[in-house]
Amino acid sequence: MPQLNPNPWFSIMLLTWFTFSLLIQPKLLSFTSANNPVNKTMTTKPIPWTWPWT
Amino acid sequence: MNLSFFDQFSSPYLLGIPLILPSLLLPALLLPSPGHRWINNRLSTIQLWLTHLITKQLMTPLNKAGHKWALLLTSLILLLLSINLLGLLPYTFTPTTQLSMNMALALPLWLATLLTGLRNQPSASLGHLLPEGTPTLLIPALILIETTSLLIRPLALGVRLTANLTAGHLLIQLISTATITLLPMMPSISTLTALILFLLTILEVAVAMIQAYVFVLLLSLYLQENI
Repeated sequence: MPQLNPNPWFSIMLLTWFTFSLLIQPKLLSFTSANNPVNKTMTTKPIPWTWPWT
Repeated sequence: MNLSFFDQFSSPYLLGIPLILPSLLLPALLLPSPGHRWINNRLSTIQLWLTHLITKQLMTPLNKAGHKWALLLTSLILLLLSINLLGLLPYTFTPTTQLSMNMALALPLWLATLLTGLRNQPSASLGHLLPEGTPTLLIPALILIETTSLLIRPLALGVRLTANLTAGHLLIQLISTATITLLPMMPSISTLTALILFLLTILEVAVAMIQAYVFVLLLSLYLQENI
């Protein structure tokens, strides 16, 4: 069974931990999640205003 | 040299260059890094949703101290899921069929849960070796049995994933060989075998996801006992 060939065992073990700890974990950490949307209804309608350009 | 059915599992080399590096890196590169915006593109949003779903599912049974393991367990299940699912594409190499990779993940992580338990709550961790309500006469035998089952956990963890994936890939190869060989001789039987192959592929997709989940779930259970 070629899985029991001990030649690449060390490199596979090393590379697995490298991928796992140095690639995937930082990628996952860089995700920032936003808060859930708050369900507040507007009580008063906003009145329109004119910009004071002059 | 004649190929046997097991040669799909040998670590791939091209012109002497070991290809295990790209085959491990590529699944990681397929998970996108989010951009510097509050709301990202659809792919990142889907990945964030999936990450949250996985983290909530894994962290619910753990106490507050166990939540420190959230990053480790979630990234582990994402790695295993992506590697397992990508391995189902034709002519790809699945690193999780290698016993070396699975033992490299299972043994240190199991040992970490065990040492966490022995360091922080030694008597509670050792107390797991004797279930409650055991008859007095059975105590020595049961402690031996529980110790054996404890020590065999990393082996079982690694070999379970390896064996499931190896067996699945081997079955797919065998049945597809049968389909191709039967095609000129008995086309109807060949169609039946192709149907079996289709069903088997669906099963393998499910097994790929389930085995990744089971690996991480068991680790979280071992953590639950010890933290």
